[in-house]
Amino acid sequence: MSVAAQTSQAGRMTDEADLDSGLMAAFDAGDGAALIALYGAAGDLHAARGDVDAACFFWTQAYVFALDLGDARARHLRTALIAQGREE
Amino acid sequence: MPDMSHLSAVLSPVSAARGLPNAHYTSPEMFAAERDSVLFANWAAIGFARDLSPGEAMPVEFAGLPLVAVRSREGVVKVFQNTCRHRGMILVDEKKPVGGVIRCPYHSWCYGLDGALVTTPHVGGPGQNTHPEIRRKDLGLIEIRSHVWRDIIFVNVSGTAPAFADYAAAAIARWGEFEGQALYPGGAESTFSFDVACNWKLAVENYCESYHLPWIHPGLNSYSRLEDHYNIEEPGAFSGQGTLVYRPMISEDGRRFPDFAGLSDKWDAGAEYIALYPNVLLGVHRDHAFAIVLQPRAQDRTLEQVAIYYASDVASDPDWAAMRAKNAEMWHAVFAEDLFVVEGMQKGRSGIFFDGGKFSPAMDGPTHCFHHWVATQVGGLALAAE
Repeated sequence: MSVAAQTSQAGRMTDEADLDSGLMAAFDAGDGAALIALYGAAGDLHAARGDVDAACFFWTQAYVFALDLGDARARHLRTALIAQGREE
Repeated sequence: MPDMSHLSAVLSPVSAARGLPNAHYTSPEMFAAERDSVLFANWAAIGFARDLSPGEAMPVEFAGLPLVAVRSREGVVKVFQNTCRHRGMILVDEKKPVGGVIRCPYHSWCYGLDGALVTTPHVGGPGQNTHPEIRRKDLGLIEIRSHVWRDIIFVNVSGTAPAFADYAAAAIARWGEFEGQALYPGGAESTFSFDVACNWKLAVENYCESYHLPWIHPGLNSYSRLEDHYNIEEPGAFSGQGTLVYRPMISEDGRRFPDFAGLSDKWDAGAEYIALYPNVLLGVHRDHAFAIVLQPRAQDRTLEQVAIYYASDVASDPDWAAMRAKNAEMWHAVFAEDLFVVEGMQKGRSGIFFDGGKFSPAMDGPTHCFHHWVATQVGGLALAAE
């Protein structure tokens, strides 16, 4: 594995570890707003990396929690998912 | 289907009739039959609209059927089966605000407060929220026909009952002077419940009659005597009793609760108490009203939910709190006095030689009126099955 790939992989592991710990904290606290933000950011990150499937997975998670809270971000997330053919 | 050949004795005129036999109070099989033919086929009460704020959902288990009552942000109350269309998960397990959607806790299928299926996350695979075989318009929440009257949430599970306005036309007309007037819920002190070891029908039967007043409600009877009461019978619809000597509560400083508007002099000293079939007990007076929703929990267990209402916003005014509390205490005491008799009748129904009982034609007409109606409902279902 190349250094770049290793660095990228290590970076992903750090990102994912941060995401996981953040999500666990948000779930434990029942912090829906934080879940929307964390999942949304994760989706954006994967979208930037060109991983559409992962992006849509995380955007879906964010979308659900946004719907649950009646949060205005639901509309934007739905638009993003529709654009990728993942929502109707 | 239980044997219904005994119903002819119940359907006889009151002078010759026997009451519903023991099985109607003790048999799980009969409880199930009555659940369908008496409770689900008619407009039955499941709770109070006052308990739902806009944007809230409230689970209600009605005779074993999981329901959820929802009030939209616009104030409209709807009732749905509290079951996700995906894998049958219970959607709402406690009353709570549902900010945007009702989200199933299992796979997060989300439903709007109108019951529409809004999203099905990952149903087509991770990150794919659609699938050709998952047609959302076909998978919305199952709505249960509902209606709110006098702050009571009624449901018709079968979907076959007449429109509520027709179903309750006689009751609405009888109390027409109160119709359309706002009912202001009293505060927390004005709602209470009893978990009673009896079949729900016994609570109806006891409520219908004044015959037991001198023995069971001596305080009430001290000023509202047996001879001051009259029977109310509307076959097929409701039955109960009225009094000619209602005395409004007066505080130490001479205050009375305000009256409902525009009442005729019938209500100056009159009050009426009817059981609207099948399962809600109502009382009206010039200055307050109440409702008792009977929640059948089993053939031998009922949750009685009581709510008291007033004619104006004294219902929430702190200056009237003491009077409201006193009024609620009075009714709590009266209803508590009935508990040992309904639980005692339940125990008596295990007496294998009890033949359903003998009605007093003079005093038990309203009770027999209810038995007769139940028999027509249960018998009707049996006839259809043949």
